[in-house]
Amino acid sequence: MKFDNIIIGGGLSGLTCGIKLAEQGKKCAIVSSGQSAIHFFSGSFDLLSKVNEEEVTNPLESMKALPDTHPYKRVGLDKIERLTNDALHLLVRSGLNLTGQADRNHFTLTPMGVMKPTWLTLSDFTSFDNKDSFPWKKAVILNFSGFLDFHTLFIKDGLKKFDVQAQIKNVSMKQFEAIRKNPSEMRSTNIAKEFDKENAIDEFAQKANVLSDGFDVVILPAVFGLFNKTIADKLKEKIEKPVLLLPAIPPSVPGIRTQITLRERFQELGGTYLLGDNVEEGVFENGRLLEIRTNNHGDIKFEADQFILASGSFYSKGIVATHDKLYEPIFGLDIEGDSDREKWFDEKIFNDQAFMRYGVKTDQNFRAMMNGEPVENLYVAGSVLGGANPLKEGSGAGISLLTSLHAAEQILK
Amino acid sequence: MNKNRSKEYDVIIIGGGATGAGTARDCAMRGLSVLLVERHDFATGATGRNHGLLHSGARYAVTDHESAAECIEENMILRKIANHCIEENNGLFLTLPEDDIAFQSQFVDACSSAGISTEIIDPKLALRMEPSANPDIIGAVKVPDGSVDPFRLTMSNALDAKLHGAEILTQHEVIDILKDQDRVNGVELFDHAKKEKVKYYGKIVCNAAGIWGHNIAKFAGVNINMFPAKGSLLIFGHRVNKMVLNRCRKPANADILVPGDTICLIGTTSERIPIEEIDNMYVSKDDVDVLIREGVKLSPSLATTRILRAYAGVRPLVAADNDPSGRSISRGIVLMDHKERDGLEGFITITGGKLMTYRLMAEEATDLICKKLDVDKKCETANIPLPGSDKSDETLNNVSQKVYSVNGITQKSAKDRHGSLAHKIAKGDENEDSMVCECEGVSIGEVKYAINELHVNNLIDLRRRTRVGMGTCQGELCACRAAGLLCESMEEAGKAKDDLANFLQERWKGMSPIAWGETINEIQFTSWIYEGIYGLKPDNN
Ligand SMILES: Cc1cc2nc3c(=O)[nH]c(=O)nc-3n(C[C@H](O)[C@H](O)[C@H](O)COP(=O)(O)OP(=O)(O)OC[C@H]3O[C@@H](n4cnc5c(N)ncnc54)[C@H](O)[C@@H]3O)c2cc1C
Ligand SMILES: Cc1cc2nc3c(=O)[nH]c(=O)nc-3n(C[C@H](O)[C@H](O)[C@H](O)COP(=O)(O)OP(=O)(O)OC[C@H]3O[C@@H](n4cnc5c(N)ncnc54)[C@H](O)[C@@H]3O)c2cc1C
Repeated sequence: MKFDNIIIGGGLSGLTCGIKLAEQGKKCAIVSSGQSAIHFFSGSFDLLSKVNEEEVTNPLESMKALPDTHPYKRVGLDKIERLTNDALHLLVRSGLNLTGQADRNHFTLTPMGVMKPTWLTLSDFTSFDNKDSFPWKKAVILNFSGFLDFHTLFIKDGLKKFDVQAQIKNVSMKQFEAIRKNPSEMRSTNIAKEFDKENAIDEFAQKANVLSDGFDVVILPAVFGLFNKTIADKLKEKIEKPVLLLPAIPPSVPGIRTQITLRERFQELGGTYLLGDNVEEGVFENGRLLEIRTNNHGDIKFEADQFILASGSFYSKGIVATHDKLYEPIFGLDIEGDSDREKWFDEKIFNDQAFMRYGVKTDQNFRAMMNGEPVENLYVAGSVLGGANPLKEGSGAGISLLTSLHAAEQILK
Repeated sequence: MNKNRSKEYDVIIIGGGATGAGTARDCAMRGLSVLLVERHDFATGATGRNHGLLHSGARYAVTDHESAAECIEENMILRKIANHCIEENNGLFLTLPEDDIAFQSQFVDACSSAGISTEIIDPKLALRMEPSANPDIIGAVKVPDGSVDPFRLTMSNALDAKLHGAEILTQHEVIDILKDQDRVNGVELFDHAKKEKVKYYGKIVCNAAGIWGHNIAKFAGVNINMFPAKGSLLIFGHRVNKMVLNRCRKPANADILVPGDTICLIGTTSERIPIEEIDNMYVSKDDVDVLIREGVKLSPSLATTRILRAYAGVRPLVAADNDPSGRSISRGIVLMDHKERDGLEGFITITGGKLMTYRLMAEEATDLICKKLDVDKKCETANIPLPGSDKSDETLNNVSQKVYSVNGITQKSAKDRHGSLAHKIAKGDENEDSMVCECEGVSIGEVKYAINELHVNNLIDLRRRTRVGMGTCQGELCACRAAGLLCESMEEAGKAKDDLANFLQERWKGMSPIAWGETINEIQFTSWIYEGIYGLKPDNN
């Protein structure tokens, strides 16, 4: 099988890159072995939230303080602002509804009741301009009987510091009786499937309207709209009071919907998306990657002019650790990181963990390094790249979006 | 704030390990009024940090006849009284090509003189009995080893002590021993929950604080020569072996592989540490490497089995009084009457020994306490089963079938964990069946039972009682669910958030020495969920 471009990994980076290339008329394939990080998404795309322990107000400005080895610096700060616009437009063209801007972080409320700075937020969720105040005084937190994955007490506690009076109420829905029979089924995706049906939303909204009498805002778990892309908006129309959705324990319903939306966009543009297939190895010649082989396709080889590696970090198995080494499992690319495992960790889990910065080594054009030499046509994008701790910095989605657009631009040049 | 309790107990027992809990049970069964105090939670000392090997005694047969004989006797007793805490797996002593096969006959002779039954097994047959064993073995001997769940064993003793009227305080740390001239008459405690000091009085104070007994003795103004020996262990994510596997040689590093529930454990290393370090239990890279290297010799498949956690404990070894250098360390039971030894009345120490021999230690300590109090009652702990042990109790069983959890998996797991007490796990509405921890099958009902009945103060305690967060998911999401439930019973949700952060830190301590493969992947994922999405931080709450 021959393509212009083949992308390994169908997470946020792989899809962004694929959409960009397909929009420019490239014949693309994405091969992806499994779930990606977007399945667990908070609903917010971070660009840069913290530098040197300080909360960032203007990400574009604060990027200047990052080390030169950081992916943003390596993309080039002169390009970043344009790329953030491109990223936003690409996501909006794909059908996502987002608020936020790159030169000014806004805040979202976490389920622990903490205000977190971020860049773009899905319209399901509420963005706040100010982290010290909460626009409502009396909140009702609604949960479904038997649903353990929404932490009403933590939310209530978090709201105390905003002087918000919160009350927790439970709602029973007959639609959930079937899923409640099996003790491990009462999870957000199963609830969301029931709510994808409009009559369930009607019924729930009625109950919520009764229970929210006397309150200023209704707080609910974000379990609305798995396959049905309009249901979260409908819910908000039908509930008379303002609605504040907060993440439940993953998987994330808005996250999965985002993944589906992006995948559909890629496929509508003519892209080939192979899910559940694992890229196993590649054939190289004269510093070029000629073809790759996958688990499901045996001897059928996949050829392309350029390849993009967007296989994610450790949790997606883009990088693998054993007791005595780190490696990139598909091609054996060079790794940025220490081989001595005592250097990987800090003894305090909430401290900066060195391993979070490990990834595939690249040259200045984001081409993968193999045995000290760049592979001419293999680009690297997203969280498989090293050089940043996206968790501590709050730069996860930003690095994925911007480095994959950057890789696409190199290919399109 | 300082408080004094006017009640005078017959005996105050310090330490909620197997020894302390066992002594509390024995004393309470003999009609004494008992207070048991523990600084953290049950089984947080050596009791919760060992192999869980129900020794047949074979390991000590060649080097320490007395310990071997004690082990086999207690082994048979525990099978009767603590059935629900024990797996009767049997054990194999394997001779590898690098070991001296001549040791085997010496071993078998020593076992039989200690009363331990042995059976020499042809290596081929041994491999059929235990397919996970190293295929290169040149010899195998079968012995009546088993596995014991130390958490369950300690809890059952504590529960039974309570049923016999004992009072129990966890999260109460002894900070001083109260004396009236040359007689001990109580303890001063720090209540970690309320952050206040409180005094309790008793006729006898029994020091069962394991290696920390050193400090307790100091509070009383007497000196015990303790020699802390740290041992590290690794827990593997699934059960590789059916039987306990030992090396047939003199005891050495990493030569015991013990199966238990769904996991198995390799251990242990042995290292002298200064007494100042007994609260700082880290596992070094070298420890891990030795355990893997030696473990793989017993069972090669360990090389590719996922390691869940690493941890270390300290053996409470005592040097003979006339030997301050510690060259003649006793591995046996040490019972000290400080009246005889130091002229201090009302104070005794019970230490040394093993988990295996906790009951015997309790018996000896209680005999001494009774003698001092002039109470003439026989010890019955060898005959009366612990609560939860009695599988023959049809009525309890029938009741439990009806009342606790209707769901298949949860019912079985809960019953395995709590024995016939599982019927106490109330069946409220069907919501109680909802699963908190999927890989360990823990239901809401079980979590609530533990919170209400089993002295659970935080998530780490809860993990010890129910295995929430002990399985392969290592507490990623179930911890958060359990925190939600625990939060309902706490006054302050903010405290529950701190508790969740502590729980994650505690898990990390066990994972960081072995964090590669799936473990590093999961820790990255867990951090994203809790810190990234939830915004949990140790200082946020
Ligand atoms: C649990 C979690 C939650 C997060 N939440 C947020 C958030 O809310 N906001 C934010 O800004 N950032 C978040 N992040 C950061 C996140 O890493 C980035 O935002 C981004 O989603 C990463 O995308 P990616 O495409 O680079 O990698 P991934 O999303 O990891 O995708 C990599 C893909 O490659 C596939 N793959 C790997 N190896 C192969 C192979 N050999 N063959 C074929 N396919 C392969 C994997 O199956 C996977 O689908 C989160 C991360 C995690 C882990
Ligand atoms: C690595 C290792 C492996 C082992 N393997 C086995 C085995 O396989 N089989 C076996 O039978 N034995 C084994 N042992 C031995 C066994 O673990 C111990 O002998 C036994 O658990 C000791 O129990 P204990 O109750 O006396 O002490 P501990 O369990 O240590 O209990 C002492 C308690 O006192 C509490 N305490 C301390 N200070 C204070 C204070 N100031 N106030 C209140 N409370 C206090 C502590 O928190 C602790 O809970 C092993 C030991 C180690 C270290």
